Amino acid sequence: MNPLRVAAVFRRIVAQFRRDRRSLALLFVAPLAIIALLGWVLSSSQSTGARIAVVNESTGPVGSLVASRLESALDGQPGIELDKSVTDISTARQMLKDKTLDLVVVLPADFSAQNRKIVLTTLGLNPMAEAASIPAIQKALIGAVMDSAGAVLPTVERSSIYGSPDATQLDTLAPVVVGFFAYFFVFILTGISFLRERIGGTLERLMATPVSRAEIVLGYSLGFGFFATLQVALVLLFVLGRIDIPALGPVPAFAIGLGVRTVGNPLIAYLLVLVLGLGAVSLGIFLSTFARTELQILQFIPIVIVPQGLLGGFFWPIEQLPNLLQPVARILPITYAIDGLRQVMIAGADLSTPQVQLDLGVLAGIAAVFILLAAATIRREVA
Amino acid sequence: MTVAPTSPPATPAPAPAPAPAVEAIHLRKDFGSIRAVDGIDMALPPGRIYGLLGPNGSGKTTLIRLLTGLASATSGKARVLGVDMPSRTNLAHIGYMTQSDGIYPELSVWENLTFFAALYGQTDKADLRRSLEFVELDTRTGTPAQDLSGGMRRRLSMACALAHHPTVIFLDEPTVGVDPALRVQFWDHFHRLAADGATLLVSSHVMDEADRCDELLFIRDGHVLAQGTPRELRKRAGTDNLETAFLSFAAASATTPADTSAASKETAR
Repeated sequence: MNPLRVAAVFRRIVAQFRRDRRSLALLFVAPLAIIALLGWVLSSSQSTGARIAVVNESTGPVGSLVASRLESALDGQPGIELDKSVTDISTARQMLKDKTLDLVVVLPADFSAQNRKIVLTTLGLNPMAEAASIPAIQKALIGAVMDSAGAVLPTVERSSIYGSPDATQLDTLAPVVVGFFAYFFVFILTGISFLRERIGGTLERLMATPVSRAEIVLGYSLGFGFFATLQVALVLLFVLGRIDIPALGPVPAFAIGLGVRTVGNPLIAYLLVLVLGLGAVSLGIFLSTFARTELQILQFIPIVIVPQGLLGGFFWPIEQLPNLLQPVARILPITYAIDGLRQVMIAGADLSTPQVQLDLGVLAGIAAVFILLAAATIRREVA
Repeated sequence: MTVAPTSPPATPAPAPAPAPAVEAIHLRKDFGSIRAVDGIDMALPPGRIYGLLGPNGSGKTTLIRLLTGLASATSGKARVLGVDMPSRTNLAHIGYMTQSDGIYPELSVWENLTFFAALYGQTDKADLRRSLEFVELDTRTGTPAQDLSGGMRRRLSMACALAHHPTVIFLDEPTVGVDPALRVQFWDHFHRLAADGATLLVSSHVMDEADRCDELLFIRDGHVLAQGTPRELRKRAGTDNLETAFLSFAAASATTPADTSAASKETAR
């Protein structure tokens, strides 16, 4: 291992990327733009009040009692807009289709004291969003029942051990996004630049010099680590910081940065992302062996990046995955990065926390495996 | 071929007789069913320019890659300066100008040169500047390589291959795209390097460059058809034209295929 040769490779990577405006933009501007967009959508997505109608098809006294109790319980609830003008099911169905109603509570014709089934009808184009108002209905139902029994509904307040229970989606997604971007961009950029090295004849040339494989991998890691460091610093600054710009003339007030609450030490978050990025550099080098064109590097995205996004705990906790997929999720580096970042940024864990040590250890192990794989693919014999 | 970091010593023990700088012993390389290099034997004493001549696909580049250790031999041995190739440490004494330019298009002329030189531990700026002056790129140090003309890129590639003053130099088609005036200078420089004791192996498929070599190796189908000075080869073929000479050796080997290895061995003195 000759430090001068490692330094030469490092300096070369930095010089190459300084020239490559497009890649620089990809590295520094793209993540900020995407995170800003995400923050904007998540923090100020407006919940349009659910427009609800109660339709009583039954003729019995129980039906009309429940219907009226339900109506009065729903009326005035935040986020619910009760339409009392609707009385028959066919009008209600048509209004659902016309999108002038979001949900219809139907007491069927056979509703009675014995048969107490209530039907909630929605349009069905976006079941997940449509279901959003169902908890409010259930609450109203319980309220209606309790009320008729003369009891009082207790108020429920949430609390959580870490963070705050009213943490927004943004607060929990932010740590994840930091790690994911670093991984994605470092992988793509290393893969493409090493592919260029292979097809451009410069790897052949490198192999004709006394430089060793270890020196090349280390030089690459330092070079891309350098850019990953800058990127993560910028992204963290943007995610954690917040500068409010007051309104000025026609420009309304706005904020730069997301101001996500974090309790942990950003430096530990940083360390996690760096170890993750180290693995991404070597993975890029390794996979560049199996690509002949830059397009083929991009074809690795659905194989390498997307499954990690789906299974790594980005959307669903690992424990909720099907049994067969859980072991898969547990070998993905992103899984450990996301867990570590959440531990640090939300739970305020530090290096003495066993869970963080485990995450860092596994990430380092995965990086080591890919470094060996990468080194194995750089051969004197390249042809 | 995996290269262990503990390779044989870089400096070979000096031999009493001029030990061959470049040596091939029954060197063979197969790519699947294709035999690219078919049992070549040669021993090239130092301080001379050897021309590797043959048509495209005759095995010239594969032979050079075997000799530099970039490819591993199917069987036989490649030796440079008495050290078996591949040897990573031995590469410090070897210069290799590849057929493709093998330079970084985004990097400037100076950045390319200093990068490759640094890998050989050569950081003498004044000396590097001289090697750019020689290839007439000293006024273009800041130009990105991608903005250079094809000939300029070739010259930069050469400067990168020679910056560390190697003693054994492999040049794969070095003068392609280089204008005639500079080509003459290149050959003058090659002769100066040889006079200083360097051994040069220059591949070409242009016969009119052959006369500038001290010795020629005619290569076809992975065989050495004939080896000798340009004058000897002309004489043996009974012609003044090297191209005709090549064809007559090729025809002779085609009619008596069994004889070729013997012939090449006989001439490999």
